[in-house]
Amino acid sequence: MAKRIVVDPVTRIEGHLRVEAMLDDNNKIHDAMSSGTMWRGIEVILQGRDPRDAWAFCERICGVCTTVHALASVRCVENSLGIQVPPNADIIRNIMFLTQMVQDHVIHFYHLHALDWVDVVSALKADPAATAALAQKVAPKWALATPGYFSDTASTLKKFVESGQLGIFQNAYWGHPAYKLPPEANLMAVAHYLEALKWQKEVIKIHTIFGGKNPHPNYIVGGMAAPIAMQGDNVINMERLNMVRDLIQGAIHIVEDLYLPDLLAIASFYPEWTQIGGGLGNYMAYGDVPQAGIGDPSKFRFPRGVILNKKLDQVLPVDFADQSQIQEEIAHSWYTYPNGKTSLHPWEGVTEPKYTGPKPPYKELDENQAYSWLKAPRWKGNAMEVGPLSRMLVGFASGRSDFKEVVMDALGRLKVGPEALFSTLGRTAARGLESRLAVHWLLDEYNHLIDNLKNGDSTTADTRNWDPSTWKPESKGFGFTEAPRGALCHWIQIKDQKIANYQIVVPSTWNASPKDGKGQHGAYEAALIGTPMADPKRPVEILRTIHSFDPCLACASHVIGPDGETLAEIVVR
Amino acid sequence: MTAGSAEVRDGVPYEDLEARAPVLVLGLGNLLLQDDGVGLRLLEAVSAREWDPAAVEFVDGGTQGLALLGYMAGRKLTLVLDAVGLGAAPGTVHQLRGAEIERLRAHRSTTAHEGNALELLATARLLGDEPEELVIVGIEPEQVRTGVGLSDAVSAQLATAAAMAVEVIRSQSKLQVPPCV
Repeated sequence: MAKRIVVDPVTRIEGHLRVEAMLDDNNKIHDAMSSGTMWRGIEVILQGRDPRDAWAFCERICGVCTTVHALASVRCVENSLGIQVPPNADIIRNIMFLTQMVQDHVIHFYHLHALDWVDVVSALKADPAATAALAQKVAPKWALATPGYFSDTASTLKKFVESGQLGIFQNAYWGHPAYKLPPEANLMAVAHYLEALKWQKEVIKIHTIFGGKNPHPNYIVGGMAAPIAMQGDNVINMERLNMVRDLIQGAIHIVEDLYLPDLLAIASFYPEWTQIGGGLGNYMAYGDVPQAGIGDPSKFRFPRGVILNKKLDQVLPVDFADQSQIQEEIAHSWYTYPNGKTSLHPWEGVTEPKYTGPKPPYKELDENQAYSWLKAPRWKGNAMEVGPLSRMLVGFASGRSDFKEVVMDALGRLKVGPEALFSTLGRTAARGLESRLAVHWLLDEYNHLIDNLKNGDSTTADTRNWDPSTWKPESKGFGFTEAPRGALCHWIQIKDQKIANYQIVVPSTWNASPKDGKGQHGAYEAALIGTPMADPKRPVEILRTIHSFDPCLACASHVIGPDGETLAEIVVR
Repeated sequence: MTAGSAEVRDGVPYEDLEARAPVLVLGLGNLLLQDDGVGLRLLEAVSAREWDPAAVEFVDGGTQGLALLGYMAGRKLTLVLDAVGLGAAPGTVHQLRGAEIERLRAHRSTTAHEGNALELLATARLLGDEPEELVIVGIEPEQVRTGVGLSDAVSAQLATAAAMAVEVIRSQSKLQVPPCV
């Protein structure tokens, strides 16, 4: 009899993601479905509004990423209105973008993903002196590595666990045979998890400085709202800029001397995960971090492109305005399109719900019918994976020496070949490797800003097209970025100075997409197929692969309530 | 951002917590999901009054979770303003303290939603960043669906809940505030 595992919710973070995995007689996953179980339709709110206000609404879409949606939104309005922002605006946006990427990746690794690999309860059995010896070997440039420090960490952890409120540590599968780290490595990881948590509180102050506030920093169509000058009181002055520099230096220290060593050390215990979870083999990056304006992708630090079927000898171009390239299908989604259409480019996109699924709460969904609130975006008809692995592979395949250097260095240390990247562990490693690139770019961008200021250029916005009377009666545009989770794009149509249509395709819609009309799986689904399960009642393998994508379904609901939620139930049919 | 110069420790600059406002008022919720956003409407109403910025800091937390951790440490009182769904009649004003909040923590799986305030609080506890006192003031929602604006039942109780919030801050901080809401 076929077994079906239901994991709902899968995310430790915002959103409603459900996975159903079908097992064969050997407990290997032979089919999987990924479903977004909550209706979003946030785009509907934007229709009829002033396009200059769109970013402030978009910033509220997601419970994790505020700034990337604001960035994509101002870029799509600027693209539509033909506005080119001044160089300093691009630099400040780049600094905020890279800061968020590095902070998000470090949090993802330590807070959201490490618990799939690190057994917190086992850490309590560790010997502090042996842990100190291990830490000095693994992360020699990280000073906190004495037996006393690890003994303190162990008692903090013990106290927390004994308070009976595992809280953030519950819902994992402690003691599961799939956990391979010795107690000392687990304790070291817990200690570094605490360090990373403390650090991330500080680094994000870069957003407060340049965006005026956080977690909802200010943007403006035409540039950045931040008044900036080397001297002055109510502006971003040299004192503030020095603080930014210190925070960037601290970030470099955390990424190079803590995150990377931990990542490689933990990865070395799980070599089998370089063979599992590869999935589609199709990778797409929109690119970001412009050096010569957003209109010139050839000068992006993150290059743009598509890789099909793991073929690293060819990078294909992406065009947001070519309506035959990116389309959203709805064959297995709870939506309806007009005139019997089955796929639409986002400019023509329609968000009209048509729920045909079972009445909740339900036991299972039917993979042959519509089964998700997510549409199925496709590039030239192909399902694509987006995210750190896609960005690293596109950079690598584009021949960029900076990407090659960090990738080959890590592969060499793990003693594996490039094919190891096409896996769950490859995805997790790519996130760390791109953090390494990003954190050094961050310092470059900062230095570039200081140079411009010293040369007398403190312009951060171009407001010549601020007044709607300067706009054409009708226009359309797109605004893209690379969110930590992957490629993000907003598409807009402006008519008579108001938003006529607004469509957002978020990275998790690409990755968590259901099947399309041709039956092609989305990236999560494809990555799960073929995974062997040690104990189907405790599906840690599913969590490892899904969490390696850093899932986030973009609807952030927020009501405090008393109900609990189950993590996994087993349905045999 | 709170004042306070950074102290560099092990290569990373950390804020001086001594200089922080002792009271944090944290509004939570999603403005795009109708009543879910009531905490932010309350934040608007309460912060519009005259406060000493050295004593009270107001933060619009949206639906963020861990991203707010940086605001938690070093507070005598943290007042969370939020939609609170406890199954009461829509518009019911709730004030939760101590044991009631502990009960919520114990019954709810806090790992499912990062944006969940409870996970934020759990993580603050782990780091020793919890406030000396934590109070939640909120309103039972009626409509949590895509849309902007509050339901009538919730709107009608905004002033009452805001007054309760002001009272909570005032009783803690012994601040001089105007007597009427």
